[in-house]
Amino acid sequence: MGEMVREDGRTANQLRPLNCSRNILNRAHGSARWRQGDTEVLAAVYGPKAGTKKNENPEKACIEVIWKPQSGQIGKLEKEYEMIMKKTLQSICILTVNPNTTTSIVVQVVHDDGALLPCAVNAACAALVDAGIPMKHLAVAICCCLAESGYLILDPTKLEEQNMKSLAYLVFPNSTTSVCTEEASLVDGEPMEHGIITSVTHGVMLVDNYLHCLERGRAASAKLSDFLRKSLKSQLQSDS
Amino acid sequence: MEEKLSVSPASLVDQLVVPGDVILDLSSMANQTIKLGGGLRQDGDVISVIKAGKLRFSKPNKYWVESSHKRYVPSVEDHVLGIVVDCKADNFLVDIKGPSLAFLPVLAFEGGTRRNIPKFQVGALLYVRVVKANPSMNPELSCTDASGKAAEFGLLKDGYMFESSTGLSRMLLSSPTCPVLEDLGKKLSFEIAVGLNGRVWVNADSPSSIVIVAKAIMNSEFLSAAQQRIMVKKLFDKIQSSTV
Repeated sequence: MGEMVREDGRTANQLRPLNCSRNILNRAHGSARWRQGDTEVLAAVYGPKAGTKKNENPEKACIEVIWKPQSGQIGKLEKEYEMIMKKTLQSICILTVNPNTTTSIVVQVVHDDGALLPCAVNAACAALVDAGIPMKHLAVAICCCLAESGYLILDPTKLEEQNMKSLAYLVFPNSTTSVCTEEASLVDGEPMEHGIITSVTHGVMLVDNYLHCLERGRAASAKLSDFLRKSLKSQLQSDS
Repeated sequence: MEEKLSVSPASLVDQLVVPGDVILDLSSMANQTIKLGGGLRQDGDVISVIKAGKLRFSKPNKYWVESSHKRYVPSVEDHVLGIVVDCKADNFLVDIKGPSLAFLPVLAFEGGTRRNIPKFQVGALLYVRVVKANPSMNPELSCTDASGKAAEFGLLKDGYMFESSTGLSRMLLSSPTCPVLEDLGKKLSFEIAVGLNGRVWVNADSPSSIVIVAKAIMNSEFLSAAQQRIMVKKLFDKIQSSTV
C-alpha cells in the first residue's frame, strides 16, 4: 500500500514542492503568494479598516474573505470556500486587539491543480503575518484523499482529486517554539499542534479512515509548519 | 532574571519569532516585574508572540517584537505625520494611517484659544504627537509637546511626502544617525520629518535635491549600513557624471 506510485512519481505521503513569497503587492498592507506544485494562490490583506460590516459584533474585529476565481463569476463552491476560510482565520486571529475594525483578505486563484482550499488557507495565513495582524498562532492546511481501494494520498493534483472516493481538508495549528518544558506546553496531555482548527470532508469515509487521515495530516503539517517558519524567517532576515 | 535567561537553553531574545511562540514562562519567575511592548501578550501563565519579527529585550525588564508593516497602529507619544481630511468645529480629522481617523482638537496648539484657531486646508500635512490611543476610540493628537510648547510640531509647508513602512521610519529615527542620512547630509542640505507611521517628509532648496534625498531614502529600506553608504556614493557619482 505504501509503495503506491502516483502519476507524477510521488509516494503517497509526499507533498509537492512548496514555494512562498511575501510582500509582493505594493498597495496591499500584506500579501503572499503560495505555490504547491502547480496550484498557486495569491492572497492580499487590507486593513484593519474602520468599522465592521452589518450583523457583526462591533466589539471584535471583523474578518472578511473575498474569493476571486481564476476566471468567471463566483458560485456556490467559492461562497463555501469564503465561509470556511473566514471561520478558520477568525479562530487564529486575536479579534479583541482592534475592535470595530474590518480586515479584508482577497484570495486570487492563479492556477488550480488540486488542493486549492488548503493552498489558499496557507497563503492567507502568510499574508496575515506580512500585514502584522495580531494572531494567536499560525495555521497550516493539508488535503488528504481516500481512494476506492482504501489507500490514502496527501496533497493530490486535480486529476487525482477527481478520481478519489472522498477527500478531507484539514487545518492544524503550527508547531511553536517555546521556552517552557515539554510537559508545560501540552494542552490536555497533547501538544498544541495536534489540535485541529478546521476539517472539511467531501464524500463518504469510515471513521477509521478519517482518523488515519488525521494522523497522516498531522505528520505532514509538521513539515509544512517547518517550511512556513523557515520562509517567514528568511524574509524577515532580509528586511532587517 | 538575566541569570534565568542565560541558563534557559531556548532563550529567544534577538531571534526571529512567529505568532504562537512562547518566550517566557511566568510560573518559573515569581515576584518579577516585566514590561511588554508591541507584538506580545500574556496568555495564562506564559508570554506568547502575536506578530512575526525580531524579539528584543532591553535591560532590566522590557520585551517587545520589532517588525515592519505598511499599516500603523497608534500608540501614545509617537510622533507621526498626518493628513487633514476634514475640519469640524472642535476637531480636525487627521489620517495617520491607523485603523480609524484621529482627532486633533482645535485648541491643541501652543497658546491655543477659541480666538486663534489655525486654518488648515483639507490635504495639509501636519507633524503631530499622539496623546491618546485606546483601541476602541479614535486616537487623539496634539501639536504641542508635553509642556505645551509648539516644539517643531505643526504644519509642514512645501516639500515632498512619501509613504514607506514603519520599519524604515524606525531605522531613520534610530540613533546614532543612520548612514544614509549622514552621507546625504554631508553633500546636501535638506529638512526631513519622519513619522513613526511610515510617512517621511523632505524639503530642500531645489526640487532636484528633494528628489535625490527621497529616492535615496526609499532605496535604503532593505540595505545594510555599508550598502547604504555605497548606494549614496553611487548616486552622487551618477549625478556628477550626468551634469558634467
